[in-house]
Amino acid sequence: MHMAKPIITAKNLFAGYNEENILDDVSIDIFENEITVILGVSGCGKTTLLKNLIGLMKPSSGSIEVLDHDIVYIDEGEYNQLMRRIGVLFQGGALLNSIPISHNVAIPLEQHTDLPDYIIDEIVRLKLSLVGLGHAYDYLPAQALARAIALDPAVLFADEPTAGLDPVTASSLDNLLLSLREQLGMTLIIVTHELSSIRRVADKIIYLDKGKVLFSGKLDEALESDIPELQKFFTV
Amino acid sequence: MNDRTIQLPDKVNIDTIPGIYDRIKGMVRRSSDSERITIDFGEVNHIDSAGVVALEKVQRDAGDKGVEIIFENISPMVEKTMQSFSSKLIESPPKKSRPHILEYLGEYTYKYWVTFRDFILLLANISYFGFVSFFHPKLRRKGEVIRQSNFIGVTALPIIVLVNFLIGLVLALQVGIQMRPFGAEIFVAQLIGFAMIAELGPLLTAIMLAGRSGSSIAAEIGAMNVSEEIDALRSMGIDPVPYLIVPKLYAILITMPLLVAIATFFGIFGGAVIGYSVFQIEFTVFYNEVVFILRYYEIMTALVKSIVFATIIIVVASYYGLHVEEGAEGVGRATTRSVVVAIFLVIVADSLLGLLFYL
Repeated sequence: MHMAKPIITAKNLFAGYNEENILDDVSIDIFENEITVILGVSGCGKTTLLKNLIGLMKPSSGSIEVLDHDIVYIDEGEYNQLMRRIGVLFQGGALLNSIPISHNVAIPLEQHTDLPDYIIDEIVRLKLSLVGLGHAYDYLPAQALARAIALDPAVLFADEPTAGLDPVTASSLDNLLLSLREQLGMTLIIVTHELSSIRRVADKIIYLDKGKVLFSGKLDEALESDIPELQKFFTV
Repeated sequence: MNDRTIQLPDKVNIDTIPGIYDRIKGMVRRSSDSERITIDFGEVNHIDSAGVVALEKVQRDAGDKGVEIIFENISPMVEKTMQSFSSKLIESPPKKSRPHILEYLGEYTYKYWVTFRDFILLLANISYFGFVSFFHPKLRRKGEVIRQSNFIGVTALPIIVLVNFLIGLVLALQVGIQMRPFGAEIFVAQLIGFAMIAELGPLLTAIMLAGRSGSSIAAEIGAMNVSEEIDALRSMGIDPVPYLIVPKLYAILITMPLLVAIATFFGIFGGAVIGYSVFQIEFTVFYNEVVFILRYYEIMTALVKSIVFATIIIVVASYYGLHVEEGAEGVGRATTRSVVVAIFLVIVADSLLGLLFYL
């Protein structure tokens, strides 16, 4: 049994679009320095759950606590402060195309710190080097990752980071996430349905099915679970 | 040698480092050559990447000035973090050599040549399929000519009518005021009639259509291009030019002369309203003056202009739609360019046709 206090907790969450609930009574706990993978088939509510945890969507009912902040009823100033400690790696990168990648990484540093420009510039180059830009990992998710870790976040959310990548590149990105967890002591919440990625990085699994949590536990337990949906997922 | 020590707080992070950095920097500035400053990490239990980068930076800068900065009492945990974020990890990107001015010149010349060549090729392609599709309707998207005619013509009618009415109105007023001292207000009717039919009717309609329909066509084709719909059509053996672009060409060729006729009528009507209300020119007199100046030649000029302008709008919008760069931003850029270039070319064509018909 886990004795540590979870850093992210969602309780009895109902959420969705246009008054139609996609998440149906979801309760989860995420612990510090762990990599939790939220998985499930397409349309099961993975991204909706992620958006609720980040505060980009408000649930119709239920509570969410992230790093001791109630994210459902948080005011804007407190939310902006909280987001300094959270990094988000969006599906497709979501980098601002009109500016170079280095400016993208500098945005959170310029907006949230009083650091002089030459220090920001050096931090940007460090973060780009950490994700290996200019070398083997010179691809969009790595660029987006450099921006997501600009402020050394305590928690990193990643929405299908390896989707559409070839297996070699996907494996590089997974290794990058693992090494960043090690270096920054981050907690990672990854939404994916890439089996090879799950096996490589996951400590914990949250399996969603039709908006409900069907399984929540360690990867080993998930692999040996007798839940038919989970068995089917891991054996295809 | 003078030794000074700075005690760091327990947290050296993005919030505390600006103050620490300024303090150390100030101390370095006041130090003379070969002095030593000790940074005591004894209390530090957390340091982040900003902390490491700033401390290493100030250490390097001090070294350049001959002041030595020593880090002391670093715990193993903090040491590990410092190694993870050390500036030694920063890789310098390979330096790109600046191309010579002649290379720039050559590159731009080539780019403009390619744009011109592709534009002419597309024009030829549209002209060819515009002719062929007339006899082979199967090449075109079903029902598209009607749909596009409705979009390009019918829905654009209110704004075109309003703009031409207002231009006719204000033009008549300004011209009439200039002519009044000579008692020549009556010529307002001839001037408005001639200007609206031969020049302003086709030109204003073309500018409105380039902004409204041209942008929409460029965005539509551009979005289809970005989402690989154009490639999908090609992979099914369907040429996008007759399938997508030719129906738009037919639609604009049908609707543009009609729009020009209606626009011209309302432009003259705007002039007549001012003629009646400000210069006491009866509507029938105004009408007779317009008819007096009107020749088939002016009507033919308007017709030729509207056909040329319509073709320019479609070819330019299609060109930028088909040559869109990647992403939503590319679609936006293509749309803007298509409007700017179409309006520019319409005005150039208008000038050339004006010279051709009236010189």
